[in-house]
Amino acid sequence: MNEPRTTGSVEATWLLQATGLHKSFLSGERRLEVLRGVDLAVTAGESVSIRGESGSGKSTLLNLLSGLDAPDAGEIRWEGAPTLAAERRGLLIGLVFQSFYLVPELDALDNVVLAARLLGKVGDADRARARELLRRVGLAERAAHVPAKLSGGERQRVAIARALMNRPKLILADEPTGNLDEGSGDAVIDLLLALCAEEGCALVLVTHNAAHAARCGRRLFLREGGFHTL
Amino acid sequence: MPWPLYLALKQLFPTGRRFSFFTFISILGVALGVTLLIVSISVMGGFGREIRNMIVNTQGEVQVRAFGLMNDPQAVMRAVKDVKGVVASTPFAEGVVLLQYENKPAFPAIQGVDMERVEGVVPLAKYVQPAGAFDQLDDDRVILSTQLARTLGVRLGDKVSVYSPLLLEKLKADEILIPRELEVCGIFEIGHQQLDSSVVIVTLRAMQELYGLGRAVHGVNVKIADGADPDRVAREINRVLPVDGVARSWMDANEEFLFVLQLEKNMIFFLLLFIIVVAAFSVASSLLIAVVRKTREIGLLGALGASPRQVAACFCYQGVIIGVGGTLLGLVLGFTVVHFRNEMVAGFTRLTGSEEALARFYQFSQLPAHLAFGDLVLIVGSAITVSTLAGLLPAWRAAKLKPVEALRAE
Repeated sequence: MNEPRTTGSVEATWLLQATGLHKSFLSGERRLEVLRGVDLAVTAGESVSIRGESGSGKSTLLNLLSGLDAPDAGEIRWEGAPTLAAERRGLLIGLVFQSFYLVPELDALDNVVLAARLLGKVGDADRARARELLRRVGLAERAAHVPAKLSGGERQRVAIARALMNRPKLILADEPTGNLDEGSGDAVIDLLLALCAEEGCALVLVTHNAAHAARCGRRLFLREGGFHTL
Repeated sequence: MPWPLYLALKQLFPTGRRFSFFTFISILGVALGVTLLIVSISVMGGFGREIRNMIVNTQGEVQVRAFGLMNDPQAVMRAVKDVKGVVASTPFAEGVVLLQYENKPAFPAIQGVDMERVEGVVPLAKYVQPAGAFDQLDDDRVILSTQLARTLGVRLGDKVSVYSPLLLEKLKADEILIPRELEVCGIFEIGHQQLDSSVVIVTLRAMQELYGLGRAVHGVNVKIADGADPDRVAREINRVLPVDGVARSWMDANEEFLFVLQLEKNMIFFLLLFIIVVAAFSVASSLLIAVVRKTREIGLLGALGASPRQVAACFCYQGVIIGVGGTLLGLVLGFTVVHFRNEMVAGFTRLTGSEEALARFYQFSQLPAHLAFGDLVLIVGSAITVSTLAGLLPAWRAAKLKPVEALRAE
């Protein structure tokens, strides 16, 4: 288990504590044990990169950390709580995916606002926040464009703005540059790190790219179901 | 606006696109079903109302008939007058005669009406041309229905010969057969082919003479107050009827005909409802495909904090919106078609050369239409309910998807 780096109340600074996570999947008649007792703790404002080979369980771990999937064994605590209801997940965690997952029928602004809309009524302040986020990701002029009219890099920037919409304390990014060319990928990582720093939220970045991983404060390597610090 | 409704609207009417083909086809399918229902049920309702008006306007809401002859109609009318809901009554006599004009014969039904009382019960005068002609009817005059006058080539002022069954008795007794000569003083047209082609109206006294009835009549027509129940009034009259006879409401007297009319209307409703059901299957199929196509978006909604119930509501709303949109469009189209029905029918019959067939077989010179409020509610309710049900299966499928599996879907 990683120790929190802040002083003072130890429990209060943990955003996320995962202990002894096990997860396996059936592949035909074989059971593949992907995670074997993974421990991870994330404190407020820190950035953690997780690298690993394909099939090493990076995305599986991220699904467990986001509360979308449940571990076979082990425990996760989000701000000390052992459960994470869907609505609270929307407030606590911002998710960025490799495939962006923008709603094609909505324009960029509405895609960003959607994160707030799913959690309740949307007011002028929410729209202003979404416009501000689009400005910060460099898409102020493209707010009215639907995803089909945006490039891959632009779509991912909209997805990042959406992830930050509810002022989450933690961003979980699953290979956010996986579908982008090198230049766009670098730009997206620059943006992600800068915005997380500005917003004061922690970042867990799953990536194949060693250079991108190296820019995070803490670098972990997932292999054979467990972490290896680089 | 709740986000499931917002997203449902966006799915059906996407930003940046003027037109969603799926939405258009889905709404149009429901709209066509509603249009056909509105038109068919309106026309059936129109036929029903026309028939009701025709019966009531010629016979009154309640008719008292004697078993045989009614020798003292005054006694019946006095008894009827005291029944609650009765406004007026008038005696009548009826039968069939041979009518002849310039060697052209016809066998119309003949109605003898009491000129002093008939207008208080049945508004015959308004169906007689020229205006005021009905008041000129006396024992030496006759009113012919329009088709009958046309068939015989009779004009106002012409005299027609009337042979009644009573003359047959004279024929048997080897007496000279002298028909009654009556002058045509008016033309009767109610808009119903059967009545307009074979009815003549004479005074009650003339009819009594033609049939040798003396002072007897065949029955009494009764007008009741607006809103009064004809069946109840008929029952009340039967309790106080001083002669051997029976009072029947117009519904009771035409029970079998009205039953067939209602049955036809119900059958048409259920058959045409299947158009909406088929459209709903198409909507359900398209929404199911949408659920498969949007699996990862559904996963995203779950990941961002949406509950399965909200995801289901999003697809349910799409069914409801299609239902409401299709119903509204169907109402507009349906009422437009109903409004221009006669022009459309005239155009169609001109094209097919069947103008006369319409009048001959359907009894009406104009296509009637009347949509009862209850029928409208039934059509709207059925269309929206069926379309909403169409969204349930896709909604259930969407709600069942687990976000983590949906996001992983290829």
